[in-house]
Amino acid sequence: MSGESTVTPARKLHDADVVYLYDGSFEGFLCCVFESFAQHEIPFAVWTPERETATLYPFKDIATDHEKARRVFASFGRKLGAETEYLVTRDFLSGREDKELLLIRFLHLAFALGPGTVKRAGHPDVAPLYEMKKSLDWEVDKFQGFVRFEEHDGMLGAVIHPKNYILPLLRGHFCGRFPEENFMIYDAVHQAVLLYQDHKPQLLELAEPLVLPPPSAREQQFQTLWKQFYKTLEIKARHNERGRMTHCPKRFWADMTELREEL
Amino acid sequence: MEQSLMEKLTILADSAKYDVACTSSGASHTAKAGSLGSCYAPGCCHAFTADGRCVSLLKVLMTNCCAFDCSYCVNRKSNDVPRATFSPRELAELTIEFYRRNYIEGLFLSSAVLVTPDYTTERMLKTLRLLRNEYHFGGYIHAKAIPGTSPELLEQLGFLADRLSVNVELPSENSLKLLAPDKGRHSIFRPMKQIAAEGAANREELTLYRKAPKFAPAGQSTQMIVGASPETDYHILKLTEGMYQKYSLKRVFYSAYIPVTEDTRLPALDTKPPLLREHRLYQADWLLRFYQFKADEILDEHNQNFNPYLDPKCNWAVQHYGLFPVDVNKAPFEMLLRVPGIGPKSARRIWHARKQASLGLDELKRMGVVLKRAQYFITCRGFAGAHPGRGSAGRERITNALIDPNVFSGGVEQLSMFSPPAVDKLVAQGVPPRTAQKLVREEAVQCLAKAL
Repeated sequence: MSGESTVTPARKLHDADVVYLYDGSFEGFLCCVFESFAQHEIPFAVWTPERETATLYPFKDIATDHEKARRVFASFGRKLGAETEYLVTRDFLSGREDKELLLIRFLHLAFALGPGTVKRAGHPDVAPLYEMKKSLDWEVDKFQGFVRFEEHDGMLGAVIHPKNYILPLLRGHFCGRFPEENFMIYDAVHQAVLLYQDHKPQLLELAEPLVLPPPSAREQQFQTLWKQFYKTLEIKARHNERGRMTHCPKRFWADMTELREEL
Repeated sequence: MEQSLMEKLTILADSAKYDVACTSSGASHTAKAGSLGSCYAPGCCHAFTADGRCVSLLKVLMTNCCAFDCSYCVNRKSNDVPRATFSPRELAELTIEFYRRNYIEGLFLSSAVLVTPDYTTERMLKTLRLLRNEYHFGGYIHAKAIPGTSPELLEQLGFLADRLSVNVELPSENSLKLLAPDKGRHSIFRPMKQIAAEGAANREELTLYRKAPKFAPAGQSTQMIVGASPETDYHILKLTEGMYQKYSLKRVFYSAYIPVTEDTRLPALDTKPPLLREHRLYQADWLLRFYQFKADEILDEHNQNFNPYLDPKCNWAVQHYGLFPVDVNKAPFEMLLRVPGIGPKSARRIWHARKQASLGLDELKRMGVVLKRAQYFITCRGFAGAHPGRGSAGRERITNALIDPNVFSGGVEQLSMFSPPAVDKLVAQGVPPRTAQKLVREEAVQCLAKAL
């Protein structure tokens, strides 16, 4: 027979010239994963409305569907194991532009090879996940120390400028530390706030930037004491500017009481 | 005249800053309702000073008025410096306000000997009781045991603090006698032993009663001064190993001696602090704690001091070159740890990954192995070990890859922090820093290659 065959050939995973557009939420991302598996395709890019730029490739709008997201997420734990689930969830908070694409590539590999995939730290599709995790862990570790609160009428407030969206990862640490305080940490890059008030934590996204009021006289007194303490600690015979910059790069300085003036 | 809080803080932070231990690690708990402060097991650095050291705790002395006269110490009785004393209330309040602003992880409280050791410790206890009982402070507290304190008071201190420390100060009894006549060997090791014993007893009790009060849950640490007295690196490392085993110390800190006083028994005032030596001691300390090395493998009777140009691990690998190359896909974990360029983290990753698939060079690189150094010591899938070439040129290629870059990382005008004595000597003779570094590096490479 020379006519067209009615049987569609088994579709193979292929790179598709298409850009996924989703709302930036984790659920939205899970729906992108769903679409990618359903179509057996790896998109050219995955963008959120803020990251959208001119491109020749056609867009595909991925609607956030709670049910689809739930199905995808449940399969992580069931088929790929707790470690993979943890790694993917955590890496989604990364500030890397192509994080969605890297995660989708990894998931295709992981569903093909099984729960051991996450251990293949040297595989080209797995290694980037560990890089993102490293960057996240590093930044979380730094900010646990570098956040500087100022007291305003009994409320503690701090501003940070992180590269990754780390507020959810800071929540446990600070709420477990100051259970009786009211505090807020404002992420000026992602315009989000971690607010802890009356023993309840909340993560809020802000429509416009937030400005903290100037510090009171009492607050200034403690800031001066701290700055003096910090300056006194240096041992001049061991001066090592490069050492300080490795541990505390300049991008943190603007938000740190003792270093703001040295910028 | 009454001193202001600012003056006191300046004086008492300045006198405490030569104590190097400033970690907040080893204890872990979150704040209970109604309290303030938690501990985070890996520790947390809150700031870094211009000398690149971490600030984790509010490190101050209770007082710097001292009854002792140890010659290496700035606070000794005979030294003419401004003196100050915190009141317990003042210090507790300052700790709380700093802590709330996330400046610090807790308090590091040490003291000069005011009147008698017991009197001083009572005062420290009063501060800690205020913090724990009145302010319900759950953050980290590191308290220094004052040599000569009675066992009862030391015990009370242990139930309030997360970590205790007793400073060895000088690595041998002779040096102690000479430089710190008021502190005997006995007054240092007795409290250390007591802390170790009570800690062990407390851990046992905690398995029986979960709510039993905790005795120094973050264990104890100590520090010694390097370069003020004539002990060799081997001596210091053996002492360290002994203390880790005998007193189950959590950490031993080393502090390069910085001359603070003119004294014929001590190095001259213009002596540079031996930072490279201190750095090597810390590297060797890591080998003891995380790389399953023994002190006798790192140094021995015939090589009593560290090689200034190679870190201790590379030095070991060079001396045992016959054991290499090892197959990354088969070698036991202990051996992976000993390959230059593979650390505990990449060793663990290799350990897991090779069960999934055999590893080649690309995979190793992506896992964080430093191939520049590792290539001469490993084989893996599709790679039979790098061939450095025959004869002395080949050996020089290997030593070139292994030589410690930190030692020669200085710029045109400035030397590296860790510049070795040979470079310092040339510079003192008027050779420009960069040329001096280059000359010494070339000579070191040749010299090491010959020994390979």
